[in-house]
Amino acid sequence: MANYFNTLPLREQLAQLAKCRFMDSSEFADGVEALKGKKMVVIGCGAQGLNQGLNLRDSGLDVSYALRPEAIAQKRQSWKNATENGFVVGTYEDLIPTADVVLNLTPDKQHTPVVKAVMPLMKQGACLSYSHGFNIVEEGMQIREDLTVIMVAPKCPGSEVRAEYVRGFGVPTLIAVHEDNDPQGEGLALAKAYAVGTGGHKAGVLMSSFIAEVKSDLMGEQTILCGMLQTGSILCFDKMVEEGIDAGYASRLIQFGWETITEALKYGGVTNMLDRLSNPAKIKAFDLSEELKVIMRPLYNKHQDDIINGTFSRVMMEDWANDDKNLLQWRADTAETNFEKTPAGDVEISEQEFFDNGILMVAMVKAGVELAFETMTAAGIIAESAYYESLHETPLIANTIARKKLYEMNATISDTAEYGCYLYNHACLPLLGDFMKDIKTDVIGKGLATDDNGVDNARLIEVNAALRSHPVEAIGTVLRGHMADMKKIV
Amino acid sequence: MGIAIHLDDLSVNFDDRFQLNNLNWSIEANQHWVVTGTNGSGKSALAAVLAGVGKIEQGSLSGLPSNVGLVSFEAQAELIAKELKKDDADIMDVISLGTPVHEMIFDQCLDPELAQELVEKFGLTPLLDRAFRKLSTGETRKVMLVRALSSRPDLLILDEPFDGLDAATLTMLQEHLEKIANTVPMVIVLNRFDEMPDFITHVAYMDKVALESKEAHQKRSEKKVSGSGKLALTVDKNNEQAFHELYQLLHLKTTDLSVPEADPSTKLPDLDPSQPLVKLKQASIKYGDTVIVDKLDWTIEQGQHWQLSGPNGSGKTCVLSLITGDHPQCYTNDIFVFGFQRGNGESIWQIKQFIGYVSTALQWEYRVSTSCKNVIISGFYDSIGMYNKSTDNQKQIADQWLELLGMKDRADQPFNKLSYGDQRLLLIARAMVKHPPLLILDEPCLGLDDMNRQLVLALIEKICEGKETTVLYVNHHMEDQIKGIENYLGLKKS
Repeated sequence: MANYFNTLPLREQLAQLAKCRFMDSSEFADGVEALKGKKMVVIGCGAQGLNQGLNLRDSGLDVSYALRPEAIAQKRQSWKNATENGFVVGTYEDLIPTADVVLNLTPDKQHTPVVKAVMPLMKQGACLSYSHGFNIVEEGMQIREDLTVIMVAPKCPGSEVRAEYVRGFGVPTLIAVHEDNDPQGEGLALAKAYAVGTGGHKAGVLMSSFIAEVKSDLMGEQTILCGMLQTGSILCFDKMVEEGIDAGYASRLIQFGWETITEALKYGGVTNMLDRLSNPAKIKAFDLSEELKVIMRPLYNKHQDDIINGTFSRVMMEDWANDDKNLLQWRADTAETNFEKTPAGDVEISEQEFFDNGILMVAMVKAGVELAFETMTAAGIIAESAYYESLHETPLIANTIARKKLYEMNATISDTAEYGCYLYNHACLPLLGDFMKDIKTDVIGKGLATDDNGVDNARLIEVNAALRSHPVEAIGTVLRGHMADMKKIV
Repeated sequence: MGIAIHLDDLSVNFDDRFQLNNLNWSIEANQHWVVTGTNGSGKSALAAVLAGVGKIEQGSLSGLPSNVGLVSFEAQAELIAKELKKDDADIMDVISLGTPVHEMIFDQCLDPELAQELVEKFGLTPLLDRAFRKLSTGETRKVMLVRALSSRPDLLILDEPFDGLDAATLTMLQEHLEKIANTVPMVIVLNRFDEMPDFITHVAYMDKVALESKEAHQKRSEKKVSGSGKLALTVDKNNEQAFHELYQLLHLKTTDLSVPEADPSTKLPDLDPSQPLVKLKQASIKYGDTVIVDKLDWTIEQGQHWQLSGPNGSGKTCVLSLITGDHPQCYTNDIFVFGFQRGNGESIWQIKQFIGYVSTALQWEYRVSTSCKNVIISGFYDSIGMYNKSTDNQKQIADQWLELLGMKDRADQPFNKLSYGDQRLLLIARAMVKHPPLLILDEPCLGLDDMNRQLVLALIEKICEGKETTVLYVNHHMEDQIKGIENYLGLKKS
């Protein structure tokens, strides 16, 4: 199988990358009509599979689950999830031939075997749905010509997809149609109905392409989302300990700090995150982030280039074929880092203190979000996509670190994200070596030791203007506005 | 029993959402207190102060023992929220099952023997392997009680310990408290005066700070404190006259009330009057091999008001969730509701539009920051939080409800900063606001003080008199009988 993107002419590559449009709610007037009475069969009953299925069924659609015979015979968790919730469960052979729509909600790595097993069983003219385009775009999977291929990707974890639906709302969702596989021209109607069925249309739907989704998703997850947080955690922790700060305190500041500061990011973008700092600290964070951006920009460019030309996925798939040797070694190494091995100390850190004593962390998040966004848009990815794949998802990943640190983050993110994180971290740690030499506890661990919060007016105005005029803030304001009712869950 | 706790001109702030001012109170050895008062007056806050919660702004607090056992709705909700939080990080695409009950009880337990005894007495043994967050309201309460009672506390603070317990468990708990009364001092928050145990020696009465000076108000608004309360009086139970006066104070007459009108512009589809509202045939709910509800037949005709009762864990809430469509197994049962045979392409929103609903589970799920007024209006949309633009009509109706509940001054305050009882009142209004064809009230009076309980019961009676709404009422308290309800369904523990 050849990389699909690389088979396209440049003109088409650029057109596909630039696809992304925020849909108007009037475009969903037909509701779930296009899927009414059709048989939807879900493959994979993890959090996405189960919760999307629950929503679709509650929207009046016919949902059942196809599992592998071993999962059924051994009554595995996926079997329990589906049956306890009252779904019909059967083997691929039982259910796929009857399906009008097959929802492939398995992890990326299983896509090739799953799709190869399922495709011959699917009936003429049915629809195959993905929630991630890697298999089509990077692995070049060829789908039977009579089948319609769509993508519906809720941009939140499965449990949130369900919780928001139950409240009467939904989560932002990305949809796409694979134009090479839309023989009856019904792909868009099916994808829209699916998004309505999961409640996504209430929170906003982005119409994108398989290519734009893959190239932006990969970029976001390996740089700012996972790579930057991983690298930042290790550097900040080691620096604090080196400077004599209590290891338990340092461990807590980092483990829970990412979550706390990116919460501010989620509500009001980079601007609000920086606004949580005192004026002198804000200027300090701004300066550090500018410095970081200069140092790291070549790395971000390299990641984006490798993703666009397919080098990244080729190298990763070689590792897959080699039993994940590189990845597993790195996962084991991560478990051995000092940050990972030092439990968070039993000290109380107030919400504000995470900002005040974590100025460098704020600077790292700002630099990472802006660089990822700038690099993606420079590569032809449209701002909406770039926003969702950088800023929007950062708090979700920070949340996994708060739970059980880096090992947990890496064990739980997708295979593609983890491999990308591995590459980033390897390159970024040495890259920031010199920069870290000048770092002291005023920006990580203790906070600025000033009695006077005075700053120069002109400088503050400059910094505020630069923060607020960054393009990620412009698009962020628009997209967060669509989710005007975004609720603070307490 | 050698404690002596003194609150001396103490003012305490709770995350800027509630303020207790100038408290003067002494708890001496061999005393047991009941704290009572109106909703939102700070009863729970006062109890929480004794558990070390809140920021002391002035005055002094001395003599607090280090090991305090606390049971309260707030603590319960916090624990549940923590458990739910464990669930929502499934970037990993894995479904977490949550902490099992035995871990909740026996990890860090100081008196495992007593815990074991209580687990049996409370009938928790079969639940030990279940996930804590999968328990029913009453069951979670019991776990909280076992935890507190078996922690060898020097002081036991029980905030509404009897609410949500079935009759048998309630008697058992009262006997147990009676038994330990001479070993551990207790402070019990009670909304129901008639539930006061005999060993209680003193009563503290809390009141809202209603009329305040302009300056005080300004000060409060600056700090954005949404409520404040004071300790109005303390009474020795042996002082019969004072005790009687307090009793009178708590039983003020409910005023003549009328239910605000429905919104004429939010019109529901017509129901066929010849068909029942609900028809369950041989309904069953199972988790693995555990049967919660076994082959239940139940028909609710239009205008036929029902009361549903049964001990904790008998599946009351499960049965209700089959009707509301919140239980996934409603698709594997033979259920007819509001003209729909379930599982034939209807959406849950088509079902929910006919239902007004209030329960403790709903209150836990209602964790969104929206204004009190919006909470009432969300009843028109069956949503948790507001995602639609409300009409002027709906706003007006919501105002009338706020007026009726005496909460007009809090219309724009965030819902999640209110006390448990005040939240409950708003959710009851949310359930009633559209005059739904079926009004389901699952233990609606939990957490309400005597006066508000009377108010809510009176409202339900009014609604029963009308023709448009059929009431389905669930409760444990036999004294909360509603005029107009003539059909009863009792569930047994299977």
